[in-house]
Amino acid sequence: MFRKLLVPAVLVGLLWLVAACAQQPATQVVERVVTQVVEQTVPVEVTRVVEQPVEVTKVVEVPVSRGVVTVLGVWGGDELANFQEAVFPFTEETGIGMAFEGTRDLAAVLTTRVEAGNPPDLAILPNPGQLYELASQGELVPLDEFIDIEAMREQYGDSWIELGSYDGRLYGVFYKVAIKSLVWYNPKAFEANGYQVPTTWDELIALSDQIVADGGTPWCIGLESGSASGWPGTDWIEDIMLRTAGPQVYDQWVRHEIPWTDDAVRNAWELFGQIARNEEYVWGGTTGVLSTNFGDSPAPMFDDPPGCYLHRQASFITGFFPEGLTAGEEYDFFTFPPIDEMYGTPALIAGDVIVMFNDTPEARQLVEYLASSTPQEIWAANGGFISANKDVSLDVYPDELTRKMAQAIVEAEVARFDGSDLMPAAVGAGAFWRSVLDYVGGADLDTVLEEIEAAAADAYQ
Amino acid sequence: MSNVARAVKPSKAGQVNMWVRAARRWAARFPLHAIIITISLLWMTPTVGLLVSSFRPRDAVRSTGWWTVFVNPFDFTQYTLENYVAVLTAQGMGRAFLNSLIIAVPSTLLPLALAALAAYAFAWMEFPGRQTLFAIVVGLLVVPLQMTLIPILRLYNQLGLSGTFLGIWLAHTGYGLPFAVYLLRNFFGALPRELFESAFLDGASWFTAFTRLALPLSVPALASLAIFQFLWVWNDLLVALIYLGGTERVAPLTVRLSTLVNSLGQNWELLTAAAFVSMALPLALFFSLQRYFVRGILAGSVKG
Repeated sequence: MFRKLLVPAVLVGLLWLVAACAQQPATQVVERVVTQVVEQTVPVEVTRVVEQPVEVTKVVEVPVSRGVVTVLGVWGGDELANFQEAVFPFTEETGIGMAFEGTRDLAAVLTTRVEAGNPPDLAILPNPGQLYELASQGELVPLDEFIDIEAMREQYGDSWIELGSYDGRLYGVFYKVAIKSLVWYNPKAFEANGYQVPTTWDELIALSDQIVADGGTPWCIGLESGSASGWPGTDWIEDIMLRTAGPQVYDQWVRHEIPWTDDAVRNAWELFGQIARNEEYVWGGTTGVLSTNFGDSPAPMFDDPPGCYLHRQASFITGFFPEGLTAGEEYDFFTFPPIDEMYGTPALIAGDVIVMFNDTPEARQLVEYLASSTPQEIWAANGGFISANKDVSLDVYPDELTRKMAQAIVEAEVARFDGSDLMPAAVGAGAFWRSVLDYVGGADLDTVLEEIEAAAADAYQ
Repeated sequence: MSNVARAVKPSKAGQVNMWVRAARRWAARFPLHAIIITISLLWMTPTVGLLVSSFRPRDAVRSTGWWTVFVNPFDFTQYTLENYVAVLTAQGMGRAFLNSLIIAVPSTLLPLALAALAAYAFAWMEFPGRQTLFAIVVGLLVVPLQMTLIPILRLYNQLGLSGTFLGIWLAHTGYGLPFAVYLLRNFFGALPRELFESAFLDGASWFTAFTRLALPLSVPALASLAIFQFLWVWNDLLVALIYLGGTERVAPLTVRLSTLVNSLGQNWELLTAAAFVSMALPLALFFSLQRYFVRGILAGSVKG
């Protein structure tokens, strides 16, 4: 009797146990909750910031005496370890400590903290979109008050200074940057099949056809990235836009001065679709493209025989490659080839930008230190880091490949920032991402573009 | 002799009878059991998958599904402890564990104590506006805590409570109270009235009746509430991140574990092991209080 009752009782107990445990691994759920915070806090922002500016400055004075600079950023894992190592000489020299707070939901946490008048001293934003937003609200301290802008121009070049500026004032210093216009390939597989690195779009398509004819699959594309799914596709479209319509039209597009239904935009989507919607071109077909995580997607390139031969992704993708591969031998990259000769090969770039909320002497010192070449060289030597600072010696990079990427960024004639990061979040981190998924999933291009245009009409006001 | 035989015979027949009855009952209950087992297996699948993944090396996790280990479950070369080693040896993990305890223990005891007092008053003490007040407390259950983040953080800044343990204790107490009061009031309310009346006749004060009668009789409800509240606080990431911040001095385990992952999600395989590391203490707590927990599920529903 008792035993028979025991079995269901234990099972019910297990159910409860699992229900309790289920909360644990669900970081995604927590992230979703946090995302809602943003949506709820945004409307509040407008009214309350005006009400209590005095109290915000009161709070500011507290950290002055602490001798510790609080920094909020998205970094974790070895990125965080490297950053701490880079700041260590500063602490040794000045006695000023750094307390780093890491969260991948930076936008939500930062918005809440700023709104409540409790921002960190410094924040490291993953893109300048939020910089413009915060600067326009008067939350940020202009860095040109204490940094020599001319020296900065010499070190960083005009385009990075411009990206970190709002309304003529410098608010952000780019610390860790990435180049996105890269196509990764496996040199060994290329050699075994006699493939050549393409130098034009036509050669790229010809190579893709060749690979299909040889019974292979040319491209690995993965669009899944949790709640940010679709972003790898936006990078494709941006890169193509730069090469087919040129930087001026690209800027107009980012600022929504031309509609999404414009022929230039349409053309870029179609060229993207030519590859991503071609079942023979992509590993796993369009279903594979939609369901593969962006970080896992390049892995088949290193199988034997290779599942695919080409992968267009930013410089940071090397962190996701399987362990034990040698840079330059088992993986290498070529620049995303030019499409219209007139526009050459512009570089699509991205980067983390340092901004300042509390104007304390300690925070000033730390910003000045971080903008200099020393801390950037420390991280660069450890790998996984590219600096936008021209004073950072190319010799510090651990391998030839990173050096090539760093050179490409510093020397790029035309460079444009990842457009989706500059657009209002409702478009750049919303409609654009979703529409890429719809389009690859087989939706009609006109409908897709009209949908983004409708979202953009609201977002840009 | 014959006495013995007579004594054995009917008992044997009785035993066979019992088996038959047992078998019949088993057959009758079989569909129910099958359903329960199927549902619990389904329910457990994600957790089992997570557990298996936590013992698999990085490249295997990325290239194949966790179920592929069952092709050769006893091939131990496909398992590794490196995820657990990486999580447990990560810098500041001990401090984070301690912080989690510092946060969770007072954040469990404080609402428990306050809720017991409040629930007792709502259940047994006559005062004007009692029902209205109780309705308001229950109504607070539906207020999403995200709505309160900014106003409370602003208040904390003025009071100097942001970034302090006291601040987060109060926050968790506030978030936990409505449910705690609601659950305990129903439990207290179901205690027999005669018990209290005879206590008062014997000269007990309201407070004596609370400490000597209400509390000892409500141990299952209190224990299950303690587990609920402890789990909620232990697993919390959002409240800690907002009110405490993520600096190493104060960050709890959840915040520290989330920073094991790089900004774009590299090293996410560590989170599989991290999940089980952070589960360890709540599991131990659950099993040690399980006796009360299972009884306490019925708390407030039927009280005979």
